[in-house]
Amino acid sequence: MVILSLTTETGFGFDNFKLFFATPHLTQALHRSLILASSATLIASLVAWPLAYFIVFCVHKKWRPLFLLAILAPFWTSFTIRAFSWQLVLSDNGVVTWFIELITGFSVTLGILYTMNASIFGLALFGSMLTTFTLYGALVSIDDKLIEAASTLGAKPFHIFKDIIFPLGLPGWLAGIFLTFIVCVGDYAVPTLLGGGLKPVLAQIMLSILKGTYDLSQAATIAVVLAITVMLCGLPLIIYGLAKRNRTAV
Amino acid sequence: MNNLIVSKFMFSLLSAFFCLALIVIYLPIIVMIVFSFNSGKYQTLPFREPTFEWYVNLIADSSFINSFFTSLMMASLASVFATILGFLAAYAFSKAKIPAHALLFGIVVCPLVIPMILIGIGMRLQIVSVGIQPALWLVLLGQTLYVLPLAVINLKNRIDKIPKSMEEASISLGSSRLKSIVLILAPICAPSLFATLLLTFTFSFDEFVIAYFLTNFEITLPIRIWTSLVTGFEPKINAVGTAVFIFSVTLGLIAQFILLFKQAELNKH
Repeated sequence: MVILSLTTETGFGFDNFKLFFATPHLTQALHRSLILASSATLIASLVAWPLAYFIVFCVHKKWRPLFLLAILAPFWTSFTIRAFSWQLVLSDNGVVTWFIELITGFSVTLGILYTMNASIFGLALFGSMLTTFTLYGALVSIDDKLIEAASTLGAKPFHIFKDIIFPLGLPGWLAGIFLTFIVCVGDYAVPTLLGGGLKPVLAQIMLSILKGTYDLSQAATIAVVLAITVMLCGLPLIIYGLAKRNRTAV
Repeated sequence: MNNLIVSKFMFSLLSAFFCLALIVIYLPIIVMIVFSFNSGKYQTLPFREPTFEWYVNLIADSSFINSFFTSLMMASLASVFATILGFLAAYAFSKAKIPAHALLFGIVVCPLVIPMILIGIGMRLQIVSVGIQPALWLVLLGQTLYVLPLAVINLKNRIDKIPKSMEEASISLGSSRLKSIVLILAPICAPSLFATLLLTFTFSFDEFVIAYFLTNFEITLPIRIWTSLVTGFEPKINAVGTAVFIFSVTLGLIAQFILLFKQAELNKH
């Protein structure tokens, strides 16, 4: 049913798409969506490594689930509430400002809330948790014996990482990156609550169309553009995954 | 700690990073909880005297309470449906030979890799084009589909680990297939089923987009919170945020504990 509902939207002819790309408001939003999602994904993918690495290789087996849960617990609350709680921290009279003023004695204006950077931060944080989770899954299944063997044969930690841990963690890492990108590109809550409404991303525009002007064909057009974007971004990963599967099958 | 690949220096570096991450993750939530007891009307420090005013206000506000019960009902039904359907689907994917196995599995887990907003919009357009009015039962349908992949994946992991011989034994002793599923497989999977139930419940309880697009008037709790956030701040939000946070994290944690520790136990054997 989901697939059906997504495919029916294309039956509108191409005029809508011409209109989409002729409207600077919308193309800018697409541009913004992409920048936002890719920077958040990039940060998340980098942060996830040390976190997952720590949990898997520095913590005793017994305690690993506990450490993972410590990172993941806020994952189960609503997106909206987490985004909102960052408002309290980042706003110009929020906790961070208060703290800086307390220490330095100067009054400062943080000016982070309602900017693109705040959105990137919020989404990157969420993505880090997600990517840590998928990467953890990949790293935890690496056989200890493999590392021991490499070490006995004289491999230095860096080489063990480069030749064993990184390649084996790669699938989990890529899955995390893919999922993070998907969530970020379609998110409305963080851009609205942290990024403000002045420079909307595509998801925000869709939301306001459906509750405001109710121009369904325009909403559908935006949805299709977004869907195609996601597919294009996911394509390299899917091809990589299939290639990998074929290789292991042979 | 694995001495072979993590030196002392690396270890301290990594643990410092981990602690920093924990602080960053939990800081805003702690701030929100603290503010929910703050009597000042504006969300600024310093902290005024503590109060339960916002919680009392919250309970007195029927729009919050009603939306909470709507959410509760939706999430309960959706999680039960998804768990039952997910169990049967997982059984089929795990044990039966189905044509186009990979393709079907892909279709079932597909909602996981589509941005939520596209699913929401797609469904809205679909019901409009068919001519159905947005209503609560559509939300139920949508949310069940949304959490189904979680249920299928979780339960498939569990069922995969059950040896086929168990079921064969019961069937050769004269039980029907249905009977062996209900009497043999389901009890074995009980912890996983329970965990899946909790997990799908939390996800459906917090779900916003589908509910937002598929109803007009019956509001769920996330929608109520959202409306309040975008139309202007109410201090009650801190209180409701705290309540929702504790509620869903508790449920989610129980579910995750069961799944992770069960898995560790199974891997041992």
